Parts: sequence; structure tokens; C-alpha cells
Amino acid sequence: MGRLSLIASALLMFSAMSLVTSRYQSRQLFIGLERMQTQARDLDTGWRRLQLERAGLARQARIDRLAREDLKMIPIVPERTLYLNQHPVVPNGGGP
Amino acid sequence: MKRVPFFANPVLRGQLPTWRARLVLLLLFGAFALLAGRALFLQGLSTEFLQQQGGRRYERTLILPATRGKILDRNGVVLASSVPARAIWAIPDDAKQAAPVQLDALAKLLDMSTAELRRRLADEDKNFVYLKRQVSMDVADKVKQLAVPGIHQQPETRRYYPQGEVLAHVLGFTNVEDQGQEGVELAFNSQLSGRPGSRRVIKDRLGRVIEDVQAATLPVDGRDLRLSIDTRIQYLVFKELQDAMAKHQAKGAAAVVVDVHTGEVLALVNLPTFDPNNRETFHSANLRNRVITDTFEPGSIMKPFTVALALDLGRITPSTLFDTGNGKFQYQGSMISDVSRNGVLDIAGVLRKSSNIGMTLLSERLGAREMWDRFTELGVGQAPQLGFPGAAPGRLRPWDRWRLIEKATMAYGYGLSVSLLQVVRAYTVFARNGDMVSLTLAKRDSDPTSVKVYTPKTAALVRTMLEAAAGPDGAKAAQVQGYRVAGKSGTARKIIDGKYSVQSYHSSFVGFAPVSNPYIGVAVTIDEPQVGGYYGGAIAAPVFSRIVGNSLRLMSVQPDAPFESTIVANLPESAQ
Repeated sequence: MGRLSLIASALLMFSAMSLVTSRYQSRQLFIGLERMQTQARDLDTGWRRLQLERAGLARQARIDRLAREDLKMIPIVPERTLYLNQHPVVPNGGGP
Repeated sequence: MKRVPFFANPVLRGQLPTWRARLVLLLLFGAFALLAGRALFLQGLSTEFLQQQGGRRYERTLILPATRGKILDRNGVVLASSVPARAIWAIPDDAKQAAPVQLDALAKLLDMSTAELRRRLADEDKNFVYLKRQVSMDVADKVKQLAVPGIHQQPETRRYYPQGEVLAHVLGFTNVEDQGQEGVELAFNSQLSGRPGSRRVIKDRLGRVIEDVQAATLPVDGRDLRLSIDTRIQYLVFKELQDAMAKHQAKGAAAVVVDVHTGEVLALVNLPTFDPNNRETFHSANLRNRVITDTFEPGSIMKPFTVALALDLGRITPSTLFDTGNGKFQYQGSMISDVSRNGVLDIAGVLRKSSNIGMTLLSERLGAREMWDRFTELGVGQAPQLGFPGAAPGRLRPWDRWRLIEKATMAYGYGLSVSLLQVVRAYTVFARNGDMVSLTLAKRDSDPTSVKVYTPKTAALVRTMLEAAAGPDGAKAAQVQGYRVAGKSGTARKIIDGKYSVQSYHSSFVGFAPVSNPYIGVAVTIDEPQVGGYYGGAIAAPVFSRIVGNSLRLMSVQPDAPFESTIVANLPESAQ
């Protein structure tokens, strides 16, 4: 009887300890998940910001000014344009 | 000390009264009963309250913000996008401890004077004062580093419009709460705005989230919206209008470009404009989208529709002649005059010379009901189904109240009002085969719906007349090198104080190109030009011409008109 209760109490102790550790582990993992999700959100925000920045730099008004003033480009006129009657070449991924 | 067994204790030797033992027992029982009652009360009656209180101490509800969808143009260029920002707010009472140096630095970062900042913090009765909203993240981080007492931050989002004033009227803007207020932002608000989610979590002592208490409601981000606008064409139109407005010192200008095959609006520009990124430029006069919400008397640009109706009904043939005399004509007690004396004209000539007298004679062959029906089919008097806020229906009075003189003036575009968008939509009947396409601001994936208005034969006939009207004998400024264009100029007097003004004009030009296979429809209007004339053919037509030429080249549409080329391609022998 005494031996049995000893084994039972050892099992109980083991079970209690494993409950504590698994609980601790699950919390750690959860915090890790949280951190990753925050990072994903931050990256998404960063992407949005970069996209906006690119749109700002590629803004028509800016390109137009740069082309006209800095690069001294002129608009195309039909008499200086050569029209080719050819079907557009469809890229086929490098195949024959 | 001698060890005495308990029962041999001399204290117990004396006989104590039994009531004392009873009393102790009773008191103990009473105490237990009290405890049990308390336990019962806590467990049974006030559980909910206690659990709430407990939860409040370790559980937190986090709001998961949803991001508003992006607006893209037809080629995927970002036109509007939201990024996180911070609202800077203060508790004035706490902020009293801030050092003057700190406040100076803060004012500098927030782009306001120190005096202004102090004034806002002076009101100590309030315990919440916004100092500035929608501050960008890098500024907010610097504010945080200052660590001014009593200054706090709150997450927000801010919407940026990279194209700025070029697309201002199409896109509109949002308020600080990220809700659409104008333009596409308002029209498609429900699609663009997301639904914020929430989650209930347990936090540990370091403030880290350690567990979800219940299943989280995930935020639903707003869907991205792809517009039919082509940013390149939009800018081109914007620049042309800006130049024209400066050149003629006009009060305003507007233009719209549509794809006549799909009914997609490729560009829509209003001037004067505002910068959606800068709230200080929001003046009510600049915010109006004139193309959609303002109506005007179209004048001559309505003539082709009357002509097409007469041709459709067989009242006239292309060879019917009209005697417009010397350019002055007395009709129903009013004087109708032409710009020049034109003598006898056929119907193509009436359109080419834009003869009001010719149109008056033509109106005698048409019934008021017939004209009303056809104009209504063309969308006059009905707001276009664009989903855009404040789309104007225009005005077309019931036909049974038209007097004869009114029927005549309606034939050449006076006495009714339309928006520029309605005009360009109506003109798609000539660019297409007599059917009018429905317009859209969102990119279209399926075929558009169209309403049949004229027979294909009539549409083709009027198309050639309109080509002549934009030709060497008509509004020749509308011609484009390399492309055949068709269109009609209009000069309408504005009504000022109930009378037709002799100084304020509305110069417009509407047309489409290339005529061999129409691709785009363009409508241009210049409001009250002051310098360089006021005729639509002189003011609006050159703008039309440049918009058409550059847009078609941009879209790689092959020229359909012959032109002199100054370059010659030499193909190497082997390639031939």
C-alpha cells in the first residue's frame, strides 16, 4: 500500500512538472509567433512605403520635367517616327 | 520543569461550567457558517463581476487595424496608398513639467510655432489635446526620443497620393478617420475600407501577449481598386490644359478621354485643382469635379445629334439644301444669327460651318417629342451610372412645354444643359456604330453594355460629316498630324444673372480619333477664356488636337492619315 502511494505521488509530480513545462513552451512559441507576425506586418508596411516612394519618384510630373529640362528630350513627332508593320514578338520564355 | 500529562493538568482539575464549552462551539460554528455564506456569495452570486474584474487585470482586447485598400491605375501604378502614421496628443497638466528646450524642439518637429504649441497646452481643464494628427513615422520616432512629459502617441494611418494634383478630382480624398470624402475614395468607400478585427489576449508582466483567450476576429483589409485611368494620358491632358489655361487666362478648364471600345475613362482632368496630400489647398471651388458635377449649355456640340435624328427618321438626306441667307434670320420673334454668311448649304455644310440658321430650319422638320425622346436616350437629363458622387443629370425640360423657338434653340444646343461626361458619352454613338457605351472609372474585365441610339448607317454618315467639320474647312486647329480626327467645336454663352452674357463663354471641342477605327473619344472645355479669342474652334480645338495626337502615339495606335516622313529606313540587303 505504501509503495503504491509512493509511485502514484511520483507520477503525480511528473505530470505536474510536465504540465508546467509544456505550458511554458507553448507560451514561448506563442510569443515567437507573435513576433513573426509583427515582423510580417512591418515588412508589409515597409513594402507599402517603398511602393509609395517609387510612385513618388516615378511621378509623371517629375519624369516630364527631368526629360525636358535635364535630358533635353523632345516629344516624338510622326514625321520622325518609323512605323513597322510587324506582328509583335511574343516572348516565349527563351524557347525556339 | 516537571512534565505533567495533559489530563493531570491542575488547571483542569476544577470543574468548569458546560455552557462555556457550548458557547465556544457555537461561536466556532457561527464563524464557519459566516465563511460558508461568504464563499457561497462570492462563488454563486457575484462570480460574473469578479471574473470580469480579474480578466480586466490580465486580459487585454487588442484592436487589429485593417488597412485601406490601394488605388491603382490601369497599368498597376499606385495612385493612393495608406501607411501607418501617429497622432501626437498631450495631457496638458502633465506637460507643464516639460522644459522649454523640449517644447521648442517639439514645436519644430511638429512644424508649428512654440507660441502655438504653448497655447494648445495652456488649456489645463482638458486632459486630452491633439497636437497634430497624421504625423509620419520618422517624425513620430523623433518625438518619442525627445521624451517630453505628458506627450503621447496613438497609431493612425495616413493616405498618400503620389500623383498629387494631377489626379486629385478623380481620386478625391479621405478624412483623418480614413473614410472617403470625395471622388473615387467616396464612391468605392465600402470596397476600399477594411473591417478592423479584435482579439482578446492575456499579457504577462512584461506586456508580452502570451495567450489568446478566445478566437480572434481577424481584420479584413480593404480590397485594392484598379481604375480605368491611364496615368500617362492623365498627366498629358493635365499639362495641355494647364498650358491652355495659362495661355488664355481662363477661369477653368476640363477634359475627359474615354476608350470608345470599352467605355473606360482613361483621363479626367479638372482645373483649377488641389493637392490631396495638403489639406490647406482644399477650397470648395477647387474641389468640384466639373466634368461630372457641373452642367453647362452645350451649344454647337449638340448639333450632330439633331442632324443624326433627322437623317435617321428620313426627314432629310445628305443632299437636302438649306438656305441660311446672309447669316441673320428672324424666327418666331427672335433673331438667330450665324458667325458668317454662308448662303445655301447641305447638311454637312451646316455642321461644318456650325450654322444656327441651318439647324433652325432643320428643327422645323422634327417634332418636339422626337427630339426629346432621342436626347433622353442619349442620356440628357439622367445622371450617368458611374457610381461617382454628385453626378449631375443635366436638364431637359418636358417636350410638351417647348415653344417653337425653344425647339429651334434646342436643335443647336441651347435651352438644355449637360455635363461634359454626358457629352463625351453621347459622342460614342458616332465613334461606335450608333450605340452608346456605358462609362466606367474602374477597369473593365467584361464587355461593356451599350444602348442602340442611331442606325449604323446614320452613325457612319455623321462620322464623315464630323470629320469634315474638323477638317480644313471647319475647325482645322483640331487636326492631328498622322491621324484622321472627327469632332465638333462649340461656343456657348454663359448665363449670368439670368441673361446670356456677351463676355463669358464656354469654349468646347468634342471628338474622336482615328476615324478609320475610332479608339478614343475626347472632350475639352475651356471656361471663360480671356485672351486669344473665345471660339471653341480656336481655343479648345488645338488642345483637343494635342491630346489626341499624343494619346494615340502613347497607345501605339498606327496612324491612318498620310504624312510626310523625314526619315527613311534602310534595311540591310540580307534582311530583305
